[in-house]
Amino acid sequence: MIFKISFKNVWRNKVRSLIVISSVTLGLAGGIFTVSIITGMVEQKIRTGINNEVSHIQVHNPEFLKNYESQYSIPHADSIAGIISKMPGVKAVCGRARITGMAASPNSVAGVQIVGVDPLQEKKVSNLYTTIPDTNGGYFTGNRKNQIVIGRKLADKLKVRLRSKIVLRFQNIDGNLTEAAFSVNGIFQTSNTVFDETNVFVKKSDLDLLTGGDNGIQEIVIMLDNIEKIPVAEAALKAKFPFLDIQNWMEIRPDMGMVTSAIAIEVYIILGIILFALAFGIVNTMLMIVFERTRELGMLMAVGMSKSRVFRMIMLETIFLTVIGGIIGMVLSTALVGFFHQRGIDLSSVSKGLGAYGFDPKIYPFIKRDLYINLTLMIFCTAILAAIMPARKALKLKPVEAIRVE
Amino acid sequence: MNIIEIKNLSKVYDAKTIPVYALNGINLAFSEGEFTSIVGPSGSGKTTMLNLLGGLDSPTGGEIMIDNTDITGLKSRQLIDFRLRNIGFVFQSFNLIPVLTAKENVEFIMQLQGVNKEQRDRRTFELLKSVGLNDKVNTRPNKLSGGQQQRVAVARALASKPKFILADEPTANLDSKSAENLLEIMEKLNKEEHITFIFSTHDARVVAKARRVITLEDGKIVGDVSKN
Repeated sequence: MIFKISFKNVWRNKVRSLIVISSVTLGLAGGIFTVSIITGMVEQKIRTGINNEVSHIQVHNPEFLKNYESQYSIPHADSIAGIISKMPGVKAVCGRARITGMAASPNSVAGVQIVGVDPLQEKKVSNLYTTIPDTNGGYFTGNRKNQIVIGRKLADKLKVRLRSKIVLRFQNIDGNLTEAAFSVNGIFQTSNTVFDETNVFVKKSDLDLLTGGDNGIQEIVIMLDNIEKIPVAEAALKAKFPFLDIQNWMEIRPDMGMVTSAIAIEVYIILGIILFALAFGIVNTMLMIVFERTRELGMLMAVGMSKSRVFRMIMLETIFLTVIGGIIGMVLSTALVGFFHQRGIDLSSVSKGLGAYGFDPKIYPFIKRDLYINLTLMIFCTAILAAIMPARKALKLKPVEAIRVE
Repeated sequence: MNIIEIKNLSKVYDAKTIPVYALNGINLAFSEGEFTSIVGPSGSGKTTMLNLLGGLDSPTGGEIMIDNTDITGLKSRQLIDFRLRNIGFVFQSFNLIPVLTAKENVEFIMQLQGVNKEQRDRRTFELLKSVGLNDKVNTRPNKLSGGQQQRVAVARALASKPKFILADEPTANLDSKSAENLLEIMEKLNKEEHITFIFSTHDARVVAKARRVITLEDGKIVGDVSKN
């Protein structure tokens, strides 16, 4: 009964109710869409970061991570990689040589991480090869020796082009300095300019030839078939190889992990502020409603409607107003997010700035399902909080006075 | 048999500064089946008397026994429940719930009482028929005339099967034809179903129909006349 009366009361002043509902709808839709852009940017950054740079899990010799000295390779790396590849959830495994060195061109010099890869295996764990535009060469094409694939940022810094020569200088496993000229075979361009500037890729076989022996594997990279399986796979690896250092992508790139956590909090702060502001509008409207209906509320109490029922009636009216707006807002934002998720939002006019932080210039808005669940709870809480003051105001009415109010 | 007994009832406003006696030492009794008007000039205490009888206000002194319960000793929550089960109200300005139909307005009181749907439906139909509105069951108050709205209010007041009905200036907002019609219905209910009506009124037509007229002046009873 109270439910029915409350719902009917919402539509008593249609214009006013529609204004409140619209403000909740638009406020929420705007908030959710903003959040979806932020989430989309972060998800994209993480996805491309994982696919192009770090993969899901990396394995190292614990000593290697202290100073990145290539002498600390992973013992029996091939057999370990073989074992890992058979573990559940593992999609691909690949070993890499990693050496810190210098890259020099006739014009400039830069400190780089030299990554020695087996190109065929590497393609299974990294999409880096897909970031080489058609006009910028390829990913180790042909059988020529001493090919190198570098990032666009480094190419600009060294002022080199395709087929230009770059001299790599580094310490081999015996501690002796080695240097050799490499020919630029491809220039990749990820959304992370720092990565593009500091990593160069060569064939591991070329590195081994240069140093006159096996440089070993300093890094095993693992891609799983699902990002959600990381905790389980990580635990299994740690149990199986306690003498090795096992890191997931968040540990390897704490900046990426931090952004994810920070954004998760920011999302709720943004929506919380929006709902808080909307609550004031709702309180104001409901106070007006209580004021306008003073005589009617007095009559209800006079004829025997208990205070708890009056309280519930006002609470329910507020909840209806808020929740109707909330539901429409969520539906509208879902449609909006869905539309732009397909088309993407092109921010290439500011892509340089975004690229420096590892973001793609084209953003695909995205909302996690759990946000909707939490948001529904937040809307309910807002409605209840907004209803308390008007409902209390109604309770304070004295029927003997209220029924005589004109 | 007396259903209401008032002993030494007084109501003083601004008791601490300049005391104004709205009611001063009233002693009265109402028996079942009365059709009584409380009359008197403005400020004589009619409305205060009705508010106190209806448990909407608390007296400064004295007691009001309704069916052997002194309602002046009841707490707010108990009073609300007491009103729901024992007293019917008809207000000057109808005070129907605008979003509910005539049927729903009448049914509402019974819903508060927890009466089951079947009984509610039956009684609502009977009551609306008794006030001549069986063709307006699903009409909202804004589509009813003033007289029709007040008849719905009477049906609503009767819905809870109260011991008596308090009607505060029930004809004040009605044209003469509607007022006459309403009075006839209330008189019929009183005679045929022994419903007790207590009015506060200025309306001579109500006074003419009443079988007992209590006159108040300055918070005191200055006349109590029963007609046969």
